[in-house]
Amino acid sequence: MRDQLSEIRVTGLDAFATAGTAESLESLRQHYLGKKGVLTEILKGLGKLSHDERRQLGQLANEIKKSFIQAIDERKEELLENASFLEIRPDLTIPGLGIAGGGLHPITQMCYDLNDAFRSLNFEIFSEDEITSELYAFDYLNFPPDHPARDTMDTYWLAGTEDKRGAERLCLRPHLTGASVRYLQKHGAPARFVYPGTVFRNESTDARHERAFYQYEALIVDRDFSFSSGLLLVRTILEKVFGHDVPVRMRAGFFPFVEPGFEIDMQCSVCDGEGCQVCQNVGWIEVMPGGAPHPNVLRAAGLDPDIWSGFYINIGLDRLVMMRYEIDDVRLFRSADLRFLEQFK
Amino acid sequence: MKASLNWIRTYADLPQDITAEQLAHDLTMQTVEVEEITNPADLVEGVVIGRVVTIRRHPQADRLVVCDVDIGQKKTSQIVCGGSNLYENQIVVVAPPGAKVRWHGEGERVELSAAKVRGVVSHGMICAASELDLEGLFPPSESEEPEIVDLTELFPDAIPGQPVADVLGLDDLIIDINNKSLTNRPDLWGHYGLARELCAIYGGTLHPLPATEIPSGLKDYSVEIVDEDRCFRYDAVVFEGIELREAPFSMRKLIWSVGMRPINVIVDITNYVMLATGQPTHAFDESHVSNGIRVRTAHEGEQLELLDGHKLTLSPTDLLICDGADKAIGLAGIMGGAQDSILPETKDIVLEVANFEAISLRRTASRHHLRTEASIRFEKAINTQRCDLAVGLTCQLMAELQPNARIVAAGTHRVRETEAIEIPVSLHFLNVRSGHTITANDAISALEPLGFVVTYDGDDTLNVIVPSWRATGDVDIKDDILEEVCRMIGYENFEYKPPVITLDKPIRQLAHESERAIREFLAFRAGLQEIYTYPWVSDTFINITGGDTDSLVALAAPPSPDRRYLRGSLIPNLLESAVLNSRYYETFGLFELTQVFTKGAVSPSIDKEKLPVQERRLAIALAGVIPFLLFRRLKGILARLPRFGRVEEWRFEQSGDKMTWADHNVWLKIVNDKGDELGLMGLLSPKATEDSGLRVPCVAIAEINVEKLVPLQSRDNLYERLPQFPLVEQDLSIVLDEDVSWAQIYEAVENLVHDAEFVEEYRGEQVPKGKKSLMFRFRLASDTGTLTAEEIDKLRNRLIKKLQYTLGAEMR
Repeated sequence: MRDQLSEIRVTGLDAFATAGTAESLESLRQHYLGKKGVLTEILKGLGKLSHDERRQLGQLANEIKKSFIQAIDERKEELLENASFLEIRPDLTIPGLGIAGGGLHPITQMCYDLNDAFRSLNFEIFSEDEITSELYAFDYLNFPPDHPARDTMDTYWLAGTEDKRGAERLCLRPHLTGASVRYLQKHGAPARFVYPGTVFRNESTDARHERAFYQYEALIVDRDFSFSSGLLLVRTILEKVFGHDVPVRMRAGFFPFVEPGFEIDMQCSVCDGEGCQVCQNVGWIEVMPGGAPHPNVLRAAGLDPDIWSGFYINIGLDRLVMMRYEIDDVRLFRSADLRFLEQFK
Repeated sequence: MKASLNWIRTYADLPQDITAEQLAHDLTMQTVEVEEITNPADLVEGVVIGRVVTIRRHPQADRLVVCDVDIGQKKTSQIVCGGSNLYENQIVVVAPPGAKVRWHGEGERVELSAAKVRGVVSHGMICAASELDLEGLFPPSESEEPEIVDLTELFPDAIPGQPVADVLGLDDLIIDINNKSLTNRPDLWGHYGLARELCAIYGGTLHPLPATEIPSGLKDYSVEIVDEDRCFRYDAVVFEGIELREAPFSMRKLIWSVGMRPINVIVDITNYVMLATGQPTHAFDESHVSNGIRVRTAHEGEQLELLDGHKLTLSPTDLLICDGADKAIGLAGIMGGAQDSILPETKDIVLEVANFEAISLRRTASRHHLRTEASIRFEKAINTQRCDLAVGLTCQLMAELQPNARIVAAGTHRVRETEAIEIPVSLHFLNVRSGHTITANDAISALEPLGFVVTYDGDDTLNVIVPSWRATGDVDIKDDILEEVCRMIGYENFEYKPPVITLDKPIRQLAHESERAIREFLAFRAGLQEIYTYPWVSDTFINITGGDTDSLVALAAPPSPDRRYLRGSLIPNLLESAVLNSRYYETFGLFELTQVFTKGAVSPSIDKEKLPVQERRLAIALAGVIPFLLFRRLKGILARLPRFGRVEEWRFEQSGDKMTWADHNVWLKIVNDKGDELGLMGLLSPKATEDSGLRVPCVAIAEINVEKLVPLQSRDNLYERLPQFPLVEQDLSIVLDEDVSWAQIYEAVENLVHDAEFVEEYRGEQVPKGKKSLMFRFRLASDTGTLTAEEIDKLRNRLIKKLQYTLGAEMR
């Protein structure tokens, strides 16, 4: 029986150590240590032996049992450590599963980035309706009575009002600046606000020209606000849009609603100022007109131009987004084409 | 507008070494936008003078000859040529191999190389004007045969081999200025004005223009301005004994180099004077002008044929130049009449130098679609004093170029002169508004070279007198003076100064915040793509979606006839966008949030302004394959939108009228707790789906009035204590009549369970007709301890009993 036990010890330990799976280990455990297991049967037979033998062999059998339990636990641990959920090593170059698509329009993205920048400078966001009147679109903005922009050729007048004048002649707004007068009339000065939105011009379209485009305008009005301070707005915007300092130049420009007025050019990002098709070989791209509100505009807004002055900037977001991502056709923005829109995250 | 630097230099001493780049930069930064600077000499790069030595017949071609041409080399060059006007000893323009020409005046320029022409080697080409883009300078004769440029008469002393650019004197810089940037600067529409501006920029000296006086004691020529509101001054000078011929080459060259066409000496003089001074002038044939000049408004229906052949029917809004017999001879400030301007037989002329009111002139020009060099200038409002410059320069040129012509009569009618404007400007104002340190000297040295007269008494105030050429609307307030000073200092020299800003109160704009939260929810949670569409909608899609055009606002001049209405709903454009994308995708989701317009009378700012009703809407379209699942997906998005969009909750109900476009089985309204309609949703009907040309099986659409949503003060989150004892979750399948709704089931069990959710519906073999099987999941909770099996059974049985009793449900 002692020999029998020794043999069981050797074969058992060997079997446990080489068991390939948790399941086969469990059946081995049953085989040796189960209720009807080999070792259990031997222990049952001990009663027939003499006291001494029983004691010795009992001790041996218990030692074997202990060593079996330990071996099984060790093997179990070993198997778990080396276990995998997959029997076959999968192709790990297969891409991960997709997530829900969707996204904001690239111009909305840019607009929100700018909103964040201006909100951090304590600017309010103001929205004006898209349909306005000649009074707010032109008269209040110091446009001369015969300015070409007032023509049907340039501005989308509403049917039935096109031959009227002033407050009765209605149009899709040709620019945002009228909104500044509405805001100032209501809230007075000092004021700091932005008023983004879509504007409309009657023109023929091509890769560079659109009938509807998105502008972003900001205005500060304060006592004795200086031109040099206005430059800060310019920098804030461009840095926010491009994420780094952008070479800009400021030059004289003429717009009826500003005095003095200027144009801000930024270095063409496509050619780094070398000159290319995008910048028409100039190396610079006009991005923002701006300037101090004309005294007549301030008067229209109910403010005394001897006390209040300010600074406008206006950015065409379509153009800026095109520059930022090197988009070659402005008409894509309003195409609603997912193949285009999905590219912007 | 184009200007020649050589021409400008005749009036101004400017640094000799200005490069094109520098000039473009400086003018752009300080004055006007330069689009391009070109050198006419580049047109004839590598092209040289040649002298035709011998001409022989081409052995293979009747229309070609073979010439030996001296181009200053040791040996003559053999050149094959098709020019019909070739002769020996002729001075010609030769493009040797390596030069670039426009072959037969067409296409891109190509580089020449020695090549055989019909079997005979030709070393380059004897050029026609069109091959070097010089047709304007050497206009083609009447002949239909090809002709080459003949310089024999003009430049008999030209030496073979000399660069043609040198002989013709083409080396110049032509500055092309963006017309829009010149809108407010009538003074810069002539070379003299540009010379003044460049002198101010570069510190050069400006020479005065010749001030030739009209001799006294002449016959008085009758000039009468009838409409004194539209013509402020009219000078007429009569010259006798004109010899009509070509203007000298130097004058033709200048006129050509800035983009105009030389015609004859008289027309060229009038154009030259306009290009020099910015003051348009015109010449009439004196024999067609009887008894002087009258300037009057046109009669209704009056006819006039213009120089360019246009026959106009006029109205009293047009201003005419007439003769003393009241015959119309020109459209004032725009173009002369065809019958009475310079004609081939003209001997005597009446020269017109006049000043017209800008606005009405512009209206006439745009009504008749006539934009001429003259009208472009008059539209900008010219000072009356400029007439003197133009008369003076014309007389000087006539004396030079028409020595036999005599001034025999002159007349003038002056209604009023452009008045000088005096503007007091304080240094304090200049400093504070610019943010730059500006001394009296800085201001004076910026202003005086531009012609402003500045007096300064050592106090704070500068007294600035605006020169007449800037006083026609360009400079009239102190802010204009500020601009002049700032731009002459140069904006690039301004430093950045952070503004001092008082932070008085935080800005809270709930509506803006929730609008952004809504967009971000739809894009990033719901996986929809935001789109932008145009505000105008196609008639087709208005029809498909059942829009009522009576309430819509229309455009007077729409982008196309079938898109004259502005959107009264976002759905038509959204559907059109879905149709477009259905060509490339089977399942997708789109949304747009913007304004819609319907007729009305709303005054957002002041009472007298009445605008249409304009409200912000949100529209969503989902495209997919399984109709009811698609609808449920849309409902799922909409049900979660208020929480994420931070607006007050809403609910769904089927009430009011079905939308025209919706499937009659699948539509709902979105209402607030007061029952007000906030929006609508539905599956697009099979008919609308087919009519719209969608290439996906179905589309679900919703539209919500964003203005009616009430934004919340902050996120709508409420903490609920975690359950102390485990929840028990069970599924239950019941069979019901078709018309029992989930809402009824939920209402029945709501109070008996912790929560319940719909799992699925089933109709089929195991379910009798007229019935449906529905499975839902419920959870049970207890505050007092873990639920025992008996307690769970009790609760479940109660639930079943209630469903049986109230809704006739049977267990499956």
